[in-house]
Amino acid sequence: MQSVIESPTKRKPMSSAQPDSAEYAAELLSRIAASRSRQAFAELFKHFAPKLQAYATRQFGNEQTAMDLVQETMTNVWHKAHLFKPDRGSAATWIFTIARNIRFDFLRKNKHRQYDLSADDLWPVLAETNESLDDDYALDDDLLLQQLAVYCESLPIAQKEVVELIYIEGKSQQEVADALEIPLGTVKSRTRLALQKLKELIKTDD
Amino acid sequence: MIKSHPHEQLLVQYATGELNPAMLVMIGTHVDMCPQCQQHVADIEEQIALKVLGERVTDAALPNTVVDSMLESIMNSPAPIQVRAEAARDYISLEGKRFALPATLARNEHRIGQWHHMVSKLWRAPVDIGNGEMLNLIYMADGAQVPEHTHKGREATLVINGVFNDEFNEYRDGDFILLDEHHKHTPQTQGEDCLTLATLDAPMHFTAGISRLLNPFSSLFFR
Repeated sequence: MQSVIESPTKRKPMSSAQPDSAEYAAELLSRIAASRSRQAFAELFKHFAPKLQAYATRQFGNEQTAMDLVQETMTNVWHKAHLFKPDRGSAATWIFTIARNIRFDFLRKNKHRQYDLSADDLWPVLAETNESLDDDYALDDDLLLQQLAVYCESLPIAQKEVVELIYIEGKSQQEVADALEIPLGTVKSRTRLALQKLKELIKTDD
Repeated sequence: MIKSHPHEQLLVQYATGELNPAMLVMIGTHVDMCPQCQQHVADIEEQIALKVLGERVTDAALPNTVVDSMLESIMNSPAPIQVRAEAARDYISLEGKRFALPATLARNEHRIGQWHHMVSKLWRAPVDIGNGEMLNLIYMADGAQVPEHTHKGREATLVINGVFNDEFNEYRDGDFILLDEHHKHTPQTQGEDCLTLATLDAPMHFTAGISRLLNPFSSLFFR
């Protein structure tokens, strides 16, 4: 069908067995994920790399940058194939979103803006997912906070006030000093004493 | 039920990454909150991918030698550093209340600065996304009112939690509102507080009564 994807050695027995077919491309990805199949990756690469290169050349107007995008996109495909979820979309869509992210970061780095938003901040295509684990953490976090709130009740009122302002409202020690009209040193010592007390309470409870 | 969504063009530009960072965070956060737009963005990505990666490439731009050396170097490359999915903290606190952050904001929680009290019942926390761009969390306590104003640029607002209304409508969790210099409005809260994410292209311009005195200070709202 397409000369660029023709295998030089042998043809596939079935005409549909080309990365052009969404099912076949997804199957290649799952073979890469499951067994690091170099043959599957080569096939996928030969299909998608020229298309990625054409896209990147249009985007950047620079052949070297385009090649870099192809290389970086396909490197992620090779290492992160396990993150492809067939029920969420096609293989082509997944590969496109990786290329989109890499393009975004290339443009950002061109401007030497380290602190600017990265593609991972916006589209977590390449983030290791662990949703169930997150839920467990959230639960523990809540329990811990509830428990801490109980302990805080037994702190002297002056210490409790400082702890709440710093750890619940997120104020800095200086801001707390200003708000309560007390010296910064007092805020620091109250915080230290409060944390000491909390530590003791947690220890004796264990 | 979210009733106010970003226009399709904004969703397309979000999917291709062709918006400024502040708007990318705004749209991303709306998409987190809105199953309908999640599906829409997925469809858009599918269509663009089909267009970009489904087309035939006529000239053999990649010679076999280049292909072979790229394949070799990719398959022998060390695995890249793993990006962790979980956010450090997925909530923020203000006035003793705790608000859950949608995923996009949670991933960028470290960019959220301190809360500042603006006027009466309004608080603001900047979201530092670099680039000198303005993105703010605005908290309106119950019974707050922002004086009537227009904008010199575009104002985008997304309700994260709660409800506010203006002369036109009532806005709840997930509602996305885009206004420009042609819209005059007076946002307020009645009976409930409201946390919003807001971006402004240019300072507000107060239009009514004594609040016009605020115009020299409107950068307080802007920044």
